[in-house]
Amino acid sequence: MDLHFVGSSVLQFCVAMVATICFSLAFQVPRRHFVACGIAGAVGWVVYFIGTAAGLSVPAATLVAALPLTGVSRFFAITRRAPVTLFLLCGIFPLVPGAGIYYTAYYLLNNEQLLFASKGVETLKTAVALAMGIAIVCSIPLPRKISRKQYRGPKMN
Amino acid sequence: MTDRAIELVVEAGKAMLENGSEVFRAQDTMEIMAHSLGIQDFHVYVLTNGIFASAEGEDGPISAVRHVPRVSIHLGRVEAVNAISREVAAGKLDMEGAEKALREARAIPAYGPRVSLLAGAVGSGCFAFLFGGAGPEVVTAFCAGIVEMLIMQLFHKGGVSKVFTDIAAAAACTALALAAGNLWGMGYNPSGAIIGALMVLTPGVALTMGIRDIINADYLSGTIRLFDALLCAGCLACGVALTYMMAVSFWRITL
Repeated sequence: MDLHFVGSSVLQFCVAMVATICFSLAFQVPRRHFVACGIAGAVGWVVYFIGTAAGLSVPAATLVAALPLTGVSRFFAITRRAPVTLFLLCGIFPLVPGAGIYYTAYYLLNNEQLLFASKGVETLKTAVALAMGIAIVCSIPLPRKISRKQYRGPKMN
Repeated sequence: MTDRAIELVVEAGKAMLENGSEVFRAQDTMEIMAHSLGIQDFHVYVLTNGIFASAEGEDGPISAVRHVPRVSIHLGRVEAVNAISREVAAGKLDMEGAEKALREARAIPAYGPRVSLLAGAVGSGCFAFLFGGAGPEVVTAFCAGIVEMLIMQLFHKGGVSKVFTDIAAAAACTALALAAGNLWGMGYNPSGAIIGALMVLTPGVALTMGIRDIINADYLSGTIRLFDALLCAGCLACGVALTYMMAVSFWRITL
C-alpha cells in the first residue's frame, strides 16, 4: 500500500462525505445528523474503493462495503437516538448502481447484446448484494444490555 | 377519550408513512403508542400506501383506515414522530401533549428550493468525481445537476407524474452532457458526467426500503417498493437511451 493510494483514498473519503451530505439534505435530515450521515456514506464508499482496487468485482465489493456501512449506521442510531433509516438511506447512495443502469442502457443502444446482458446482470447482482449486506448486519441481534437500555420505545434499528 | 387516542395513533402512523418510514417501523410505533395510551384490542395492518386499524372504542369497536398515496421523503419528520412515540411509551407525554407534538412534527419545514438545488448540483459533481471523472466532467455534472433539480422541482409543483419526471430529468442531463462535448473537446468523457448527474435520480431509497421490508417479512410492501425501484431505473435508462438515439440521428454524434 503506497502513499499515493492512501492519499487518493482520503480524497475519496472526503468527496463521498460531501456527496452523502448533499443527499441527506435532499432527504430533509435534521442538520445535527449531517456529519454522521456523511461518515456513514464515506465509510461505505472507501471500503468499496479499496475493494475494487484490490480486484474484487463490483457486486462483491458492494457487499463488503455494505457491511461496515450498516454497522456504522446502527452505531449512530444508538448513540444519536434516531431511527437507523436516517443514516442508512443517505449512506447507501454512493453504492447504488447508478453507473450500472447507465451502462446497461448505453450498451443496449450500441447494439452490443453481450455487454448489455452482462452489465444488466451485474447491475442486478450489485443491487441484491447491497440489499443482502444491509440485511445481514441489520438482523444481527444487539446485546441485551444495549437493547434494554435503548429500545424501550419503538424499534430504533 | 379512546376515540381521540385511536385518531392520534393512526395519524402518527400516517405521518411516518408519508414521510418515508419503513412499514414495520410505522406498525411498531403505532402498536407501542396504542399500548401506552391504554387502547383496548388494538390491531393494525400497514402497507406501503395504507393503514388499516381497528380497536375497542367507547361505544363498540371502531376502525380507522388511512390512504397514503404520495410519499415524499422527509426523514426529519420520521425522527420526530419516532421520538414522540418513545416519550409516550416512557410516560413523559400525555395525550394532549402528544397531539400537539405530532402537529408540530408534521409542520417541520423542508429545506428551501435553492438549498436543494445546490445540494443536487454539488452531489452530482461529487459523484462524477467518485466515478473517475476529472475537471470537465465534474463541472458538467454540476450544471446537469442544476438542470435536473430544476426540472424535478418544476414538475413536482405542476403535478407531473413521477415516471415522466424521471425520464425528462435523465434525458435533460444526458443532452447537456453530450452537448458539453463541443465545449471541452478532446479528453472529455460524457459518460462520467452523465453517471454523476444520474446518481441523484437513482432509486436508492425504494431499493433499500423494499429489501428492508422483505427482510422483515412484509413481502407485499417490499414488492411494491421493489417494483417502484425497477420502474424508476427503467425510466432513467429510457431517458438516457432516447437522448442518445436523438443525438446519433440529429447531431451525428458517434457513440
